Amino acid sequence: MSEKIACTHCHLEFSKDVMIQDGEHYFCCNGCQGVYHLLSDEGLDSFYEKVGDTKLAPPTQQYEDSSNFDAPAFYEKFVKTTKEGFSEVSLIIEGIHCSACVWLNEKALHKMEGVIEANINFTNNKAQIIWDDDIVKLSQIIDMIRAIGYNAYPYDASLQEASANKQRKDYYLRISVALFAAMNVMWIAVAQYAGYFSGIEQEMKTILNIAEGVLATPVLFYSGWIFFRGAYYGLKNRVINMDLLVATGATLTYFYSIYITITEHGEAYFDSVSMIITFVLIGKFLEVLSKKSATDTLDAITKQLPTEARVLRDGEMHSIKLDDVKVGDIVVVSSGEKVLLDGEIIKGEGNFDESNLTGESEPIFKKVGDSVISGTLSIDADVHFRTSKDFEHSTLSALVSLLENAINKKPKIEQLANKLSEHFSTAILTLSFATFFGWYLSGYGFEHSFMIAIAVIVIACPCALGLATPVATLVGLSLGAKRGILFKEAAQLETMAKTDVVLLDKTGTLTYGKPEVVKQDIDIGYDEGLLYSLVKLSNHPVAQGVKKVLEKPQNEVVFDEYKQLQARGIVAYKKGVELLGGNAKLMQEMGLAYEYKSENTLFFFAINKKIVATFELQDRIKDDAKELVNTLQQKGIEVMMLTGDHQKSAMRVANEVGISEVFYELSPEDKLEKLTQLQNDGKVVVMVGDGVNDILALAQADIGIVMGSGSDVAIEVGDVVLLDDSLKSLLESLKIAKTTFDLIKQNFAISLVYNALTIPLAIAGYVIPLVAAISMSLSSLLVVGNSMRIRYKWSK
Amino acid sequence: MDNGIVAMMLGASIFLGGVALIAFLWAVKNGQFDDEEKFLNAVKFDGVEDLNDAAMQEKKKEELKKKKQREYKPE
Repeated sequence: MSEKIACTHCHLEFSKDVMIQDGEHYFCCNGCQGVYHLLSDEGLDSFYEKVGDTKLAPPTQQYEDSSNFDAPAFYEKFVKTTKEGFSEVSLIIEGIHCSACVWLNEKALHKMEGVIEANINFTNNKAQIIWDDDIVKLSQIIDMIRAIGYNAYPYDASLQEASANKQRKDYYLRISVALFAAMNVMWIAVAQYAGYFSGIEQEMKTILNIAEGVLATPVLFYSGWIFFRGAYYGLKNRVINMDLLVATGATLTYFYSIYITITEHGEAYFDSVSMIITFVLIGKFLEVLSKKSATDTLDAITKQLPTEARVLRDGEMHSIKLDDVKVGDIVVVSSGEKVLLDGEIIKGEGNFDESNLTGESEPIFKKVGDSVISGTLSIDADVHFRTSKDFEHSTLSALVSLLENAINKKPKIEQLANKLSEHFSTAILTLSFATFFGWYLSGYGFEHSFMIAIAVIVIACPCALGLATPVATLVGLSLGAKRGILFKEAAQLETMAKTDVVLLDKTGTLTYGKPEVVKQDIDIGYDEGLLYSLVKLSNHPVAQGVKKVLEKPQNEVVFDEYKQLQARGIVAYKKGVELLGGNAKLMQEMGLAYEYKSENTLFFFAINKKIVATFELQDRIKDDAKELVNTLQQKGIEVMMLTGDHQKSAMRVANEVGISEVFYELSPEDKLEKLTQLQNDGKVVVMVGDGVNDILALAQADIGIVMGSGSDVAIEVGDVVLLDDSLKSLLESLKIAKTTFDLIKQNFAISLVYNALTIPLAIAGYVIPLVAAISMSLSSLLVVGNSMRIRYKWSK
Repeated sequence: MDNGIVAMMLGASIFLGGVALIAFLWAVKNGQFDDEEKFLNAVKFDGVEDLNDAAMQEKKKEELKKKKQREYKPE
């Protein structure tokens, strides 16, 4: 064994014999050598000092021509023009291992003529590149990244993502200001309180008031801007919301305090102003963090669709935008590709997966003359087909627009907080006015009456109310996350707690979605290894199911010849022995007699025309399905089953788990219609599913719950994702929702009781700034503490 | 203690705190905290050479911008 030595570029270690020697350097491959020389020539070799001993991936990959990055269609999709006239693209860079890699990429790009800015984020490997398109082209930029041993591909930095980040940053800035100022105001306020009890010169009081005022100003007008805006939009829609209460309370208090500072008597409330804004702003920020918008979901779905199809025109293949494909064009689809247009096959044959549209899990065989439907997937078919509709009228487009409708029609159940805060805000504002007039008319003078009215608003200003929901839902979200239940939006927890009806999909939700052997009838003395090797040849779910119960033989048999028969099974030959594996139809056609009758799927295995083994397969019901249905029904929740499957198998599952309301042979649209009917009756409907055939219903359901192993689109549309696919999690998620909603109610109760106790004091005129500040902090602490208590109880 | 001194001390400390706050806000707006890894590692790549490179890049950017302004007219 010769000594091992590290490659100068990638630092992977290999034996010295196989390395390429180049002066004093050793390289593991030409790729590394090339990159090393390129970096030396460019004067970027200080990269190796920076990278240390980190091991890199050797740049051995060959890339296809990068010129397609310069195609106008590509530019149109991914490249934006900045207001100065430069081009901008978002890339994901592959192969970044360490911060030196980031340094190298940025440096190499900066050295390029015409590149204005290259900014790479190490955490998510996303890069923002701005360049002058007159000087350098995108393809050259990507070539450069590839040349130094990385790869880049563009992604569509959708506006949604950008605007969500911007909003988050905006809140972050405002909260920073509010926290900074509020904390300093509180220090100064401590001196004020001390002075209140032990006596303080008026001059000193004024100095402290001015300092507080200076600090409270940015809190009110910068950080508090969000409440002014919210109040304005609320008024525009004729709603009195919490924002209005916060805004008027804080503003009135602020100007009153300024007045006190100038006239040099009474107590200023600057500390209350900054505290109200800070606390409620934090509560609002927590809400913003856990929000998703419907357009995000749609974006994600349409992004998964290719935008171009391969079309055969004049004997040549062209990539043509979907919208430009005409009726009568010949479209080429290869195995593994999505069918994007409707048409009729004119050449080729093969299997298609239509589960997207029908929910039918068996592949469907199609040949010349059969029609293909857009939205389906070619499993192993290479076909040419003549389009019968343009893209706009295709089944796929129809499905997407249906989905769009469903998402937009999703009912928004009004949250308790909104409902409550409207009444609360109105009540407090009225109460405050009444207090003012009450004192004024009793002859206490404008100033005194005004001060007491302000105190009512300040004391009622609901920091705790503002925090009640966000803190509770945060607890709910984290409880879910720990158990593999992802709630996409905090508000869903509350909606889910009000569930009236649960609709369950059958395949993949109540059952495992894969056939499993439930019974076998085997003649003694046949070679199991033969059968194992035979079923291994097929990817058909039935064959896979049979394979599962067989032991893997020592030596797998290699057949001399074998053939897969569509929708029948497999025939194989070994030294003149004929082996048959397949369904009843195959046996009939081969003239074999069998006396086996069952509702289940059957698989026969015959050696030389004699059946030696029979398997019964069934899509097995999940173990806890019955328990789930029972528990739900006990809780008074209606349970129904919706399935695209036929009556017999639907009834079998329904009877076994105890669901009496069953709807079968439903198309995705039928499921949606069933769900809409229930919603129109005023019920809160939860849909549980996993497949694309459920998406319409999932999208419009009050809550769509998706199994984590479900299709990507379904996960995108769903509101709650159960990562472990289990029905136990489903029950758990409902329980968490219930707990959270109870917690919200408790928190409201706490803050309302607090207000009930303190408001009379304020009306009676006994409230000083210290009492206001303490009551505010204390009620907020109680709310947060109560939420923590629930969290602690659950984690035990 | 004299009231004037208290006023001065309050003023000075609020001012200093304010300066720190503004610096922080600037850094957040500038995206310096967007990528915590890069932010933490930045100190490793802060040599004379890197500074020169950064200055050069800045200059190049300005030049290209000027050039573009002469040529480019957004419609």
